[in-house]
Amino acid sequence: MSDAYREVLSRLSRVPGVRGALIALADAGVPVAEELQPDVSGEAVAALAAALFRRTALAARSGDLGALETVHLEAEGGHVHVAGAGELIVVALIADDTQIGRARLELVRAARAVREAAETAAP
Amino acid sequence: MRGTELPRIVAALKGPIDTFVRDARVRVALLIDRSGQVVAQHGFTSSYEVMNVASLAAAAHATSHALADVTSVGGWSHLHHAGTRQELFLATLTTPTAPLILVAIFDSESSLGLVQLFFGQLAVRVAALPELQRVSASADQHSFERDLEAGIARAFAPDSRSGA
Repeated sequence: MSDAYREVLSRLSRVPGVRGALIALADAGVPVAEELQPDVSGEAVAALAAALFRRTALAARSGDLGALETVHLEAEGGHVHVAGAGELIVVALIADDTQIGRARLELVRAARAVREAAETAAP
Repeated sequence: MRGTELPRIVAALKGPIDTFVRDARVRVALLIDRSGQVVAQHGFTSSYEVMNVASLAAAAHATSHALADVTSVGGWSHLHHAGTRQELFLATLTTPTAPLILVAIFDSESSLGLVQLFFGQLAVRVAALPELQRVSASADQHSFERDLEAGIARAFAPDSRSGA
C-alpha cells in the first residue's frame, strides 16, 4: 500500500509548480507518506492541513453543502490544496506562479487513487 | 524541585501551558515532575482529579521508561492512547534542571498531529525559560534526598524535640 502512496506522491510532485505533497491521516493529522523539500516539516503540514480540512468540512456540513472534497488556501508565497480521500487527506504545496487548474486536477486524481489504494488494502 | 523554587517555576510555566492549550486545542493539560509533583495544570475541575492523573502519569512515565529499557528500544518520545471519544498524550519535556512530564487529553477538536506539533513548540519555550536555566543545588534527586534527610535529622535532633 505504501508503494501505491509513494507512486501517487511521485506523480503529483512532478506536476509543474507542485513543490511537494503528502498523504496524512485525516483525523490524527499524522503523515503517512510525504515527498517534500527538506526545509518543510511534514509533521507540521500534516497536522495543520488536517485540522484545516476537518474544520472546513464541519463548516460545509453546517452550511448544508454536503461532504467536503477539497480545500484551497491561497497565501502570499503559494497555495496549499487539500483533498479528502476517505480516512486520508492528500496535500499539495503549489508555487504562486502556477497553472492552478492543472495542479488541482492532478490533486483530485491523486486523492481518488489514494482512496482506492486504501480501500483495496482494507481487510 | 525544591518547595521554595516551586511558586516561581509554576508562575513561569503558566504562559507556555496556556499557549499550548490554546494552540493545540486540548481539553486538559498537566505538567508534573518525575515524582508526580504538579507544576502546571489547565482544565481540571478538582484537585482530586489532578492528583489522580498526576500520580498515574508519573507511574506510566516510569513504566514506559522501564519497558523501553527492557526491550532495548532506547528512549521514547511520547505515549499516545486513542480512546473512542478522548485521547491521551504523555511526553517528556527536557529542561536543564529536571525533566517534566506533560499529560494532555484531547478530543475531536484536536488531533495527535496538532498536539505533537505544539508540544514541540512548548518544549522549546519551556527549555528557554530563565527560571529553569539555573541548575539549583537542590533540584536533582540526590540533593533533594540529602536536603530531606538533613531536614528530618534537624527535626528529630534533641534540641528540636525539647523545643529549644
